[in-house]
Amino acid sequence: MDMMQTVHTLTSITPARPWGLDIPNYFWFTGSSAAAFIVSSFAHVFGMKKFKPIAGFSLLVAFVLLVAAPLNLIDDLRQPGRMINFFLYGWENFGTSPMKWGVLLLATYPVLILAEALVLYRPFLVRRLQEANRGVTRAFYKGLTLGRTDLSEEALHKDERLGFILGAVGIPLALCVHGYTGYILGVVHSSPLWHTPLMPILFLASAMVSGTGLLLVILPVAQRFFTTTGRIDKEVMTALARLLGWSIIIDLVVRFFWLTFAVAFNSNERYRLMDFFGYHFHEILWVEYVLCLLIPMIIAFSRLGRRLPWQFAIGFVAAVGVWLFRWNTVIGGQTIGKTTAGLLSYHPHLFGAGSIGAVMANWLLFVALLCAVLLVFPWDEEMDRHYGKELES
Amino acid sequence: MSNVRRNFLKRLGAVVAAAAATMASASPAKAFSSRNPGRDAKDPRYVGQEDKRWGMVMDLSKCIGCQACTAACKAENTIPDRVFRTWVPEYELGRYPRVRKAFLPQLCNHCEKPSCVSVCPTGATFAREDGVVVVDSEICWGCGYCLNACPYDKRYFNPLTQVADKCTYCAHRIDEGLLPACVESCVGGARIFGDLNDPKSEVSRLVSGAPSTVLNPASGTRPQTYYLGLAGELQAQPSGPPILDDLARKRDGLPAAEWTTKA
Repeated sequence: MDMMQTVHTLTSITPARPWGLDIPNYFWFTGSSAAAFIVSSFAHVFGMKKFKPIAGFSLLVAFVLLVAAPLNLIDDLRQPGRMINFFLYGWENFGTSPMKWGVLLLATYPVLILAEALVLYRPFLVRRLQEANRGVTRAFYKGLTLGRTDLSEEALHKDERLGFILGAVGIPLALCVHGYTGYILGVVHSSPLWHTPLMPILFLASAMVSGTGLLLVILPVAQRFFTTTGRIDKEVMTALARLLGWSIIIDLVVRFFWLTFAVAFNSNERYRLMDFFGYHFHEILWVEYVLCLLIPMIIAFSRLGRRLPWQFAIGFVAAVGVWLFRWNTVIGGQTIGKTTAGLLSYHPHLFGAGSIGAVMANWLLFVALLCAVLLVFPWDEEMDRHYGKELES
Repeated sequence: MSNVRRNFLKRLGAVVAAAAATMASASPAKAFSSRNPGRDAKDPRYVGQEDKRWGMVMDLSKCIGCQACTAACKAENTIPDRVFRTWVPEYELGRYPRVRKAFLPQLCNHCEKPSCVSVCPTGATFAREDGVVVVDSEICWGCGYCLNACPYDKRYFNPLTQVADKCTYCAHRIDEGLLPACVESCVGGARIFGDLNDPKSEVSRLVSGAPSTVLNPASGTRPQTYYLGLAGELQAQPSGPPILDDLARKRDGLPAAEWTTKA
């Protein structure tokens, strides 16, 4: 007789769970930001020439993603007015609460990216300062150059060194900023879906997928419609598509370890996980794995991966797939009963805190901020310079 | 290094040292606290009774599922609608014709190693000296990390305070020498409360004298709420039908709550 089948809950209370839509969205934003930063560092730190033209652009994307991301967290707080309490109290839990140190990372990392962007774009900003007629514009660009208007060979060399250092410091910081979000979930032993030391690595691997996917979507749009030449760099798109393919491979390998350790071997948690994966089997297998990971990976390495519409499509699908993975992890982990039997289901509200509306608003804000930052920083001029140089040589 | 710079550094050092000394000697109720202002001020409500270790025993053979404890807790602690600090789920065990009913009274287990406390980023939830785990509703910012960290689902967001809330073993009553409201109202005498540090107390006698267990011992949180006669099948049950309340809302055409049990 299967003992598991013989318990029926006649009456109980459905437990409410704290983390709604905001949190998967937040994880997606920070992850994609880390990946965009790393793509930019390929050029600035590792000297990979093929990523040079988009290094500045992806740095700006990383910055905007990370400015928009924490707004999800603030929306998720039940008492957002008490944010100061975070900094005043509770330092005794520094070692045991990843949220405690994670927020510090979250506060320093965007400052670092902004500093790097200001250093790298300084020559362009100085030129805009020199061209500016109105006092307000002059003051604005003067602020952005941080008062350093020297364009001598020596000063430019210093910028390059500083950019390298900031980029080199930024790589571990970017990994930490997104790694900590996985850490936050990984330490929660009450949720069998979360409780694995692989969670930070899992988050980082899938972040590379979503970040590269996002660049494959925004870069062609920005280059086609918002640069003077209107030319989409096919070479860099192909490089990004290849990077997407490799990121998916790494992601799949980590997921293989995660799922086989969690479900295949005899642990107490596996029964709850098998219940969870059994219930969601088809959506996870066909949507998350086949449609959003395997097919984009195959396309990325095939001949189709060199054609723009396919690059755009696989970038979009892979980025959406990682969002679904964040959703399945954060919301899914909370649907598993702890002392109640069975699974829970989540019905997000349309309006109010943590609602569909709030997350949509966050996306709109991201787009608005991206437009504003792309207006202020002369990323298009930088691209033109790279492509101009290519033409000369 | 130039003299100007050296002098500046010296002066800066002196200022920092003075500031640190002032902060160290300031009154305990200072604004900045590495822990929590109430604890620094040694407020008795935050410290508890230092020589005690409060615990509870649930004698399941005596529980009749009357929910008197649930009602008493709600009245005593002014708990809003749809949230509960304690409740008694009702189960049906076995298959027809061999069926029996079981009740599992639940409340915060006041763990010795509470996972809710270690993850709290504001220090709002903490264990008192007597082991009672409480939430400072003035400090909590409502991030919900503790709700997810609790392996027993015994925390919720209070709709009135908008912060994490849970059973306190009626700390305000036990500090006055009274019993928790649920214990006092338990008609079958199924809830026994007392000091686990005192070997002569009834809880100590029951915990050491008869086989007892705690909920989900594998979680490693060392709960201080013990159960006598807990059926093994009541723990770790992967599948279950939807809960009556969710079904009733569906039947009445009400919009589903944000979280419901799966049909």
